Amino acid sequence: MTVTESQKAAYIAGQAADARVRVEIEAEGMTLNLGPQHPATHGTLRIIVRLDGEQVVWADPVPGYMHRGYEKLCEVRDYAQVTTLINRIDWLGSFANEVPFILAAEELMGIEAPPRAQYIRTILFELARIANVCLFLGDMGVQLGAITPVFYAFRDREFVLNLIESATGGRFHPNFDRIGGIKDDLPKGWIDECRVALGRVRGFCDQMEDLLVGNVIFQQRTRGIGVIPRDIALEYGVSGANARASGIDWDLRRDQPSPLAWKHADWKVFTHPDGDSFARYWVRLQEVREATRIVEQLMDGLPAGPIRAKVPARIRVPAGEAWVHTENPLGEMGYYVVSDGSPGGPFRCKIRTPSFSNISIVPWLLRGVFVPDVITILASLYFILGDIDR
Amino acid sequence: MGLVESNKLPKPLTRLLNWGRSSSLWVYQWGLACCAIEMGAAFGSPRYDVMRLGVIPFPSSARQADFVCISGTVTDKMAPPIKRLYEQMPEPKYVISMGSCANCGGPYWDSYSVTKGVDQIIPVDVYVPGCPPRPEALLEGIVLLQKRIAEEDMGARWRGEAIVVGG
Amino acid sequence: MVAAEPETPPPTPRHGELVAALGEALGADLVSHAYSATEAWVRVAPAGWLQAGRVAKEHLGLSYLCFISGIDWLQNPGLGGEKAWDPDVEASDPPGDGPGRWKTGVAGGGTRFQVFARLADLTRHVGLTLKVDVGDGPSDPDHPGAAPRVASWVPLFRGADWHEREAWEMYGIEFEGHPGLRHLYLPGEFEGFPLRKDFPLLAREVKPWPGFVNVEGLPGDDDSAEDVEA
Repeated sequence: MTVTESQKAAYIAGQAADARVRVEIEAEGMTLNLGPQHPATHGTLRIIVRLDGEQVVWADPVPGYMHRGYEKLCEVRDYAQVTTLINRIDWLGSFANEVPFILAAEELMGIEAPPRAQYIRTILFELARIANVCLFLGDMGVQLGAITPVFYAFRDREFVLNLIESATGGRFHPNFDRIGGIKDDLPKGWIDECRVALGRVRGFCDQMEDLLVGNVIFQQRTRGIGVIPRDIALEYGVSGANARASGIDWDLRRDQPSPLAWKHADWKVFTHPDGDSFARYWVRLQEVREATRIVEQLMDGLPAGPIRAKVPARIRVPAGEAWVHTENPLGEMGYYVVSDGSPGGPFRCKIRTPSFSNISIVPWLLRGVFVPDVITILASLYFILGDIDR
Repeated sequence: MGLVESNKLPKPLTRLLNWGRSSSLWVYQWGLACCAIEMGAAFGSPRYDVMRLGVIPFPSSARQADFVCISGTVTDKMAPPIKRLYEQMPEPKYVISMGSCANCGGPYWDSYSVTKGVDQIIPVDVYVPGCPPRPEALLEGIVLLQKRIAEEDMGARWRGEAIVVGG
Repeated sequence: MVAAEPETPPPTPRHGELVAALGEALGADLVSHAYSATEAWVRVAPAGWLQAGRVAKEHLGLSYLCFISGIDWLQNPGLGGEKAWDPDVEASDPPGDGPGRWKTGVAGGGTRFQVFARLADLTRHVGLTLKVDVGDGPSDPDHPGAAPRVASWVPLFRGADWHEREAWEMYGIEFEGHPGLRHLYLPGEFEGFPLRKDFPLLAREVKPWPGFVNVEGLPGDDDSAEDVEA
């Protein structure tokens, strides 16, 4: 159960009080509809909860309000068009969506991108992570009622978005990855600007730590709320910071051999034993700081060279199946690309998105939880609707 | 006011009322997808501050809003709530369709579950193109809407006549 | 890498151990397997699907459910090179080497619809993709047995609930033992199973895609190798 001791004690005391008054209150439970348009759902997620007083009896998330049919659309587009489209799955950390797909296509074609391209890909990947999770750090405050952090988040994200825009041309949805490398090299002076921006991001993390993490209200509202035990997390496929906050020491950047450049930097994986909402916030805060360190190290060691391998003008991927997954900002994202050797696009592209599995745990997680805690739990699980619905 | 219905509103008064209406808009943010982030940046970030135009992005519900900014992909499943919330807005109300998904279906023009443009469901006043449009583009869209409101014929609006563009 | 070559060795020793242990536990139900440079696939007979999941989870340490999904191997010749739907083209001379009108994938396949799932062991960092033939479909209300069907993994992995709902919704694959197959993404009145290859995208029928467009170089750009789509 996800009810804390103090909540249990309060409930029992309430029941005892009713018994003393000798009034039996029989009330039908209320069915509450959270969403699809609701400030607390990060997008169009509808959750139907059945309440008994203030406690949830059962919860049923209804996704699909943002279902755009990605897997079908990928079958009728060619590889370059698919790259443009899949940016928009996790629309906050967009570059990170392109990478596993391009890596799968490269694996099927037997192409390896040159080292400079891999470094730049990793740098942009981590910048996407910073942009994505910075918004989470601010947004969690808003969901709990503290409005200031989200303004800071938007302000400091602008620096990172400026960087991504100066390198790729788009604030998000960069469409920058190509089979065999990346589209363009980094502009002059970008690396120095990046260092300045990363300094600001670290300042932002310190501000969040001051404002939220040490705040007693925040702690009371998040500690012990929404505990996900380790084995339940594995059954549901919970990944990313949500899994690491439940004590699962698993990070695909470290554990999965990948052509990208994470192995060339020295960085740590953070886990937390509690598995509650506070743990999820704390793990993500540390991950943003660590991401800034990764980017700095990679910029220091950036090799010279070409940014794109020799690729035929008309992309024709040989028949085969490839599975590539990476540690995206939201969790484990993977593409299972099936190619039948014909020109054009993939035959089947199964997109494994992290938020789908992270939200499938909501019916189990929300039983017995009080209504305000429902908001806290949803905020701490951190999903993006495009990621759930594809 | 009886003056509005009978079309006897003096011009200076019309201009005053229109100026008041266009400079104090309350926008209901209907953020669906990626454009919602750019809308959030336009509305909430200190850089592309929309409040300097007089637009306050914090109405508590649709019933207190002057216009709605639909940003993001509209799916067939989402269409009934959009229609219902548009009908909950009181007159005079306006719609800005932000982003190519809301304009015409966008990159998902051939999807089986996407409504190809929100103007299939509700009337749209301003289309802001882009994928996603920069916050400045949304601000330009809002300025266009303000200009349009400033030149509006209140009598025609009251009677519910069709809006004439460029007339 | 192109997989399904019998000479490709397992990418790591642990992959080989997993496949061998699964073969021992399932016996003849393990129909085939394949390796690539990074991954391992096994194909299981439909009768052994639930047992395969149980063995993998309880004995082989593959306790993390990555995903369960379906695949439709039908080659629709109406879907030409320009990916324009041509409803008049008959699927009479289909390409492919599978029985009927489909090609088979890695680790083979015998039917049009397959369910494939991926499990992972997060401590030893290996994963396994399991495939199973589920039938040729299509679901016909007059012949309920004709729908592609397979056992549900919900008793083993709670997260399989949503994945199987999605697979049913997109392909019409029935999962026996699932607590309630109902629409996950699509509105309740939606007709048809969208990810099937014979489900047309009507927008493309009405307005066919203009085809591959050669990007012209900018003035002064003499690198003709820039002739890449988009």
